[in-house]
Amino acid sequence: MQSIKQLMVLTKRILKQNLTNIDTVITVILMPLFMLMFFVYVLGGNIAMDGVNASTGEYLKYALPGFLLVAMAMGSAYTAVRINLDKTKGFLKRLHSLPIKRWVILGSHVLASVIFMIISESVVLIAGFVMGYRPDLSVGNFALFVAVSLLFAFTITLIAIPFSLKANSVESAGGFSYIILMLLFVSSAFIPMDGMIKPVRWFAENQPMTALVGITRDLLNNNFSFTSSNSLQSFVWLIGLIILFSLLSYRRYKMFSVKL
Amino acid sequence: MDAITVKHVRKSFGNHSVLKDMNLAVKRGEIFTLLGENGSGKSTLINILTTISLADDGEVQIMGHPIMSDAGLIRENISLNSQTVTLDDEFTGYQNLLIIAELRLLKNAKTEIKQISERLNLTSFLNKKVGKYSGGMKRRLDIAMSLLGNPEIIFLDEPTTGVDPKNRVELWNIIKEIRDSGKTVFLTTQYLDEADKLSDHMGFLNDGKIVLYGTPDEIKKNARRFVQINVDSPNVNLVNLPEEMIISKNNKGTSFVVDERNTDICIKILVNENVSIHSVVPQENSLEEVFFNVTKIDSEGN
Ligand SMILES: Nc1ncnc2c1ncn2[C@@H]1O[C@H](COP(=O)(O)OP(=O)(O)OP(=O)(O)O)[C@@H](O)[C@H]1O
Ligand SMILES: [Mg+2]
Repeated sequence: MQSIKQLMVLTKRILKQNLTNIDTVITVILMPLFMLMFFVYVLGGNIAMDGVNASTGEYLKYALPGFLLVAMAMGSAYTAVRINLDKTKGFLKRLHSLPIKRWVILGSHVLASVIFMIISESVVLIAGFVMGYRPDLSVGNFALFVAVSLLFAFTITLIAIPFSLKANSVESAGGFSYIILMLLFVSSAFIPMDGMIKPVRWFAENQPMTALVGITRDLLNNNFSFTSSNSLQSFVWLIGLIILFSLLSYRRYKMFSVKL
Repeated sequence: MDAITVKHVRKSFGNHSVLKDMNLAVKRGEIFTLLGENGSGKSTLINILTTISLADDGEVQIMGHPIMSDAGLIRENISLNSQTVTLDDEFTGYQNLLIIAELRLLKNAKTEIKQISERLNLTSFLNKKVGKYSGGMKRRLDIAMSLLGNPEIIFLDEPTTGVDPKNRVELWNIIKEIRDSGKTVFLTTQYLDEADKLSDHMGFLNDGKIVLYGTPDEIKKNARRFVQINVDSPNVNLVNLPEEMIISKNNKGTSFVVDERNTDICIKILVNENVSIHSVVPQENSLEEVFFNVTKIDSEGN
């Protein structure tokens, strides 16, 4: 009970830091919005889908799921920034000398990060609505869509932890997030893979973001099945990454705090 | 019961042995100052005492509780001000304090924040963003965070480094006031005058060990002492004094400093040479000299 109270206090602290920091809000909330509008209104009409140039509405329907993931991926850089600042500014030390369970301290960063990513995802989704996006959703698929979003946010949060704990400065803490963004760009998120040159296409087809964009699209378009290759690949990737980065995070964190 | 006991504590980072054989007792209700140069291991010891990191070897007790088995209880009773201020610039002073009060699960957080802010003269800045605070104000707020929850031992890791003289004096008064309210203060510093002014006891950390321990007065008293012998007129016969006994002399040759132990021999020689002695003045020892001598002896391998 006490630990839950402390978890809430620390989570609230981080969310408030993020939402009152102009830099953070611009990068994580306004940038994805800008990109969404740029792609839809400027590029969208020039992108060929099934051989013909797409209409703005068609392109929006195609690309919105990818932008939802982009919004969350942008947030992971700030997850790393927050953890790294707490490390370098000594706040972690203060916490470790207070009567707080160790899992609460890192847990608050994870929880705040996931909530923040879901906020920025929601903003993009609402903007999509305003621009005319209409998903084809059953209640069950909506629940699954929320679950996949949470899992994705959790996974990229875990990826942020070892990088942020290792980095000696906040500038280098968020670098890994560019890799996640790059993977999203070289996937089926914004542009169909048909036109990519062969090696790039092979890479795009076999990396996690294509499957994750795929499953999100399937869920929003009422096209989902548990046994589709998008679904199977997504689950394997997510579970694998979660296991790998939980271990790495745990190992890194143990270097900072003894369990007594 | 002592507030802190440290027995045979060792700590290395890889091949670099930082604490070699630390032994220390800090009494309750006193200001203990750990003096040491950059990189001597002050923060390393504080981290061990505040349950943040583990010693490789040895025994530590806080308020009689072994650190290995009672860390939870110990954390209820200590506070740490680490070397860097740990404030959130984007929040107000009040919000910063409230976070710690809530983490300590204080029931009357508001009243306690109010009282502590008044004690530390923070009330008028409390609703301003910390980003706008001066360095001295930040240090004070950082200390205020450590006082919430009324812990018995406050660890202050170099609280006055980089603080201007006026604010330093103010911090000194706060530190004394914390001691006078019955708390134990464990302070680290690189400044001798600070240790001299504030400490009830102090220890000098050098080469991984406490090489000097005592009250500032005891340390000054026990250190090598010197006397200054003044003679009436310059006299060539002074050269009869053994060279190695003269620590320093003035240009005119009317005044020279010798080790107190050699005073009698020197006076005898001078009297034999018919030099008239004007005065013999014991030298007031400064801590600077004491520590200079300790480190010198140490680096000469004695
Ligand atoms: N986590 C660590 N890993 C490796 N070496 C470390 C670590 N922490 C401290 N050291 C080394 O141990 C030595 C003592 O460091 P410490 O921070 O305790 O010194 P200090 O007396 O607090 O110095 P300062 O006055 O600069 O704060 C230094 O040489 C430092 O480089
Ligand atoms: Mg230090």
